[in-house]
Amino acid sequence: MTNNNEMGEMRSPGDASHDLHATYTPVFTGARKAELDELLTRYPTKMAALLPALWIVQHERGWVPAEGMAEVAAILELTPAYVKGVVSFYTMYHQHPVATHFIQVCTTSPCNVCGAEDVVNALLKQTGCEELGVTSPDGKYAVIEVECLGACGFNTPLMVNEQFIESVTVESVPALLASLG
Amino acid sequence: MGFPHTPHERESLVLSKHFGEQEAIGLDGWRKRGGYVALEKALRMEPAEIVQIVKDSGLRGRGGAGFPTGLKWSFMKPGDGKQHYLACNADESEPGTFKDREIMRWTPHALVEGCAIGAYAIGATVAYVYIRGEYTEAMEKMNAACKEAYAAGILGTNAMGTGKTVHVYVHKGAGAYICGEETAMMNSLEGRRGNPRIKPPFPAVSGLFGMPTTINNVETLAAVPHILNNGADWYKTFGRADNPKSTGTKLFSVCGNIAKPGNYEVALGFPFKDFLYDLCGGPLPGRQFKAIIPGGISVPIQTREEAENSPMDYEGFVANGTMLGSGGVIIIDDAQNLVKQIARAARFFAHESCAQCTQCREGTAWTTKILERIVAGDGTHEDLDTLLEIADNMTGKTICVLSDSCATPVVSGIQKFRPDFEALIKRKKVHMVPAQVA
Amino acid sequence: MADVKMVNLTIEGRGVSVPDGTSILEAAKLAGVLVPHYCYHPGLPVAGVCRMCLVEVEKAPKLAPSCATAVVEGQVVHVHSPKALEARKGVLEMLLINHPLDCPICDQAGECELQDYTYQEGRAEGRYRDPKRFNPVEDFGGDVMYVANRCILCTRCVRFMDDIAHDPVLAVVERGDRALIGKFEGEDLTHAWAGNVIDLCPVGALLSKDSLNKARAWELDRAASVCPNCSQGCNMIVETRDNQVMRLRPRPNADVNEFFMCDHGRLNYRWMNRADRVDTPMVRQNGVLARADWEVALRAAAALLGGKRAFVLASPNLSNEALFLLGKLVAKTGGAGAFRVNQGQEAPLPGVKDLALRADRAANVRGAELAGFTRSDAPLSGMMAGDVLIVADEELDGVDATDAARAGAVIVVGTTLPGWARHGANVVLPIANCVEEDGTFTNLRGRVQRFFQAKAAPGLARPSFFAIGDLLASVGDGAGYWTASQTFDALAAAHTEFAGMSYDTLALKGAPTAGAMTEASA
Repeated sequence: MTNNNEMGEMRSPGDASHDLHATYTPVFTGARKAELDELLTRYPTKMAALLPALWIVQHERGWVPAEGMAEVAAILELTPAYVKGVVSFYTMYHQHPVATHFIQVCTTSPCNVCGAEDVVNALLKQTGCEELGVTSPDGKYAVIEVECLGACGFNTPLMVNEQFIESVTVESVPALLASLG
Repeated sequence: MGFPHTPHERESLVLSKHFGEQEAIGLDGWRKRGGYVALEKALRMEPAEIVQIVKDSGLRGRGGAGFPTGLKWSFMKPGDGKQHYLACNADESEPGTFKDREIMRWTPHALVEGCAIGAYAIGATVAYVYIRGEYTEAMEKMNAACKEAYAAGILGTNAMGTGKTVHVYVHKGAGAYICGEETAMMNSLEGRRGNPRIKPPFPAVSGLFGMPTTINNVETLAAVPHILNNGADWYKTFGRADNPKSTGTKLFSVCGNIAKPGNYEVALGFPFKDFLYDLCGGPLPGRQFKAIIPGGISVPIQTREEAENSPMDYEGFVANGTMLGSGGVIIIDDAQNLVKQIARAARFFAHESCAQCTQCREGTAWTTKILERIVAGDGTHEDLDTLLEIADNMTGKTICVLSDSCATPVVSGIQKFRPDFEALIKRKKVHMVPAQVA
Repeated sequence: MADVKMVNLTIEGRGVSVPDGTSILEAAKLAGVLVPHYCYHPGLPVAGVCRMCLVEVEKAPKLAPSCATAVVEGQVVHVHSPKALEARKGVLEMLLINHPLDCPICDQAGECELQDYTYQEGRAEGRYRDPKRFNPVEDFGGDVMYVANRCILCTRCVRFMDDIAHDPVLAVVERGDRALIGKFEGEDLTHAWAGNVIDLCPVGALLSKDSLNKARAWELDRAASVCPNCSQGCNMIVETRDNQVMRLRPRPNADVNEFFMCDHGRLNYRWMNRADRVDTPMVRQNGVLARADWEVALRAAAALLGGKRAFVLASPNLSNEALFLLGKLVAKTGGAGAFRVNQGQEAPLPGVKDLALRADRAANVRGAELAGFTRSDAPLSGMMAGDVLIVADEELDGVDATDAARAGAVIVVGTTLPGWARHGANVVLPIANCVEEDGTFTNLRGRVQRFFQAKAAPGLARPSFFAIGDLLASVGDGAGYWTASQTFDALAAAHTEFAGMSYDTLALKGAPTAGAMTEASA
């Protein structure tokens, strides 16, 4: 295969980072399957249950692995590529495993003018993450900036995984981290 | 500063009357406060009668566009043999706006009731409430409220014993501002990427699942039970006497550099200056308001002097060169680097662009890069011209208005605060040639 | 059909009348005005996302995307007004800010719509001076390579795989300016028709691995042709350089293949460039095949045929013209003719009616039948001992040699000289292959379609109709055929199925035979 250096390194098909289906245990069995079946009654199409189904996968696994996308695709009669397109559109679905406490701080303008970046810096320092998006050495924390969380009057709001916490200040960061454990 | 917040005497509490009351969250507490009386009444009326009352009330969409709600409902043709849908837009994501969240947190049944009435009025048996994924608490409250309403026979195939079918389902978003755009929301509900659709066809013709659909904002629907209970004339008493086009009360979210941020409910037409200083306590000690964005980050930025003269209604803000938008009032004071905040706003839009239209996908990111470069001290005067030209290319040329929304703060920012930009450009870094190389 | 409402409008000052529901973009085409566009493609659902086709419509508040805006009676449309030009210039600038501007090493250069429209309407210089985004090149599987940095996200490829191929293995992934075309790991572009995404891609983002870095677009010579690789008869363009076929690409024909062509057809062209061609007539002398000139070879062939039955084993890849003349030879000698067809897996393109890679892997099966040849898996079974076997471009692969040995003599009229012919053939007449001559094929639905010469035949090889016409003349039937169209006229005069047809009436899109028309209306 010829390749120009200018084009960079070429990825070839099939070099999957993990072996699909090798060790994957399906999510949709038992109660999870029943939950999805109930959801399906709410919509005229199977596809409409895609976002809820992906939420179930993420709740179960902490993220949405490729195998999870394939599983959802098979159940909802979609293709894995289609599901990947949808998953990657929505920022709340994690395409990679995340830290135990995944701290998402709103730094959009209304929070930004009220010192959200200071909160971010305090968090980065006190969790030991140092850099945005990098998991702390103990694997417990990661801090990222997110766009507007819709709690602009209660700055600084943040989410730890799916827990919404308002009015975090630089001063309250130690207490917050202590409460997370 | 969350709730309970002590309401100001000049507020007009309709939607927010029970904010902060734990008891009002549950069905029993809500019933004690007059809940579901309007729905019971509505289900025994002809849908057309309900539409007429809402039309008469002058209620307009509280999501941003301000389209007359009754008129929108009247586009849904009864008896066309098609499944109709109501979609409640609870994807509140406009920076500066957090009112729908409070409605759902404190009075979830108000929204369930509003959805049920709205659905019945437009001939729909199903209403979906699309709540943004980040609103975990609101979601929990809404799910619980729906569960209670089903258990009490308020929702279901025999709603309130009338034999009529009304379903209300909560649908959870997953992190995408653009899903607050109604056609993107429909795509998202259908399990697609949240890409806005080309209009026409309009949702009332071909919406959710290709069926006639009405999309209403949370606040709009939550106002409907009050209108049915108290009448259209009562609703019209809220508003400026000289402006019959804006009626009722409106929740304004206030945030940024101001003494008392939070949600305030006032009659439309309320003087903005009084609102900012009396209700919200004015600027923080020792500071001054510098720029005010009255309707969420997508509307034009104004200087304090410009903004203060507006009456707070659809026409009042427009006459004054901006928009009511979602009612998210963002205050930026003189201690802030305004250009940095405009860059931050642009970054928001660049992050949220769905990637369909060229001008938006590329333009939002390009705008952000230039602005961030200016903030970093590496801007040029030509950059300002380029920014304005990019903004022009991003305005009025795309499927939805996300692109326009990104251009708005840039254009109004440069127009009104040009010295701020120029000051950053003047202190441009001098790139030194390292000594050992020279 | 008669009740279609017509809408009258003015585009760039030209009046045009089009059926109700037509887009402004399509109406403009009819008015002779090309509205620049990227995401729009007539064979795909409308997306309306590139925003390149913005035009000014009088009295409309905003510029209209002409691909997604239906015509309205009395509308006045300006495609090249300052406002419209400014908007498109803006789009072009944005499309290029992250583009690597690597035309000198890009295969698409010369046939790139980004290049073309930028030269036509774009800015002379870009104003972007920030870092460009970078994504690695990705192998999408099949024949497709994805160069993300050149991608303009028009989504034609996604829509083709979804709506036409019904195999949505491509999707837009991520969003904002991070968006790109993605696929799922392990699920490749292996669909039999996937290669069309390469043609559909208006820029150099999706490239053919097969033709990667092989030729510059402007070096290629092009000829209209018909794909010979199955009986569907997809219209195609043969692109050659230095007398070598470099690439086959589909040519639109709404009645046959819309805009598409399968990967099997597209990539199966190397045989057209075979170097081991027979390029001179040969006659067996003293047990050895020796070079001869055409006169000698034809005389030798006529001598062999003298009074004998001719049994013709024909290739179903020969043109109607060649088969017609071979049929005449069969009739003249009271002989018989047969053919066989290579078989493969059928592979439909579900989004287009009646379009598939057909199991019959030959172009002119129907034509051979109409010419009176019998389809058979044991093609020599009809040959009688002592017949003169005329092998017309058939390689006799897998045919029992003892069968052929029953023939009194063997005349090869072909493009190649298979191994057995070195000792089995008495006379060899070299002919051109289907990209080296003009002719027609009749596809499986009875559509007669012309193909044009794309390259020169080697050595002394002659067009098949010419060679067979001379052979016919040498046994006393006619005085030869000089052009393909003359041969076709003779066919049309002799055969009711082709009655009234001529090369002029067939033109570039072909026409159904009489029988096919009856079938279609039934």
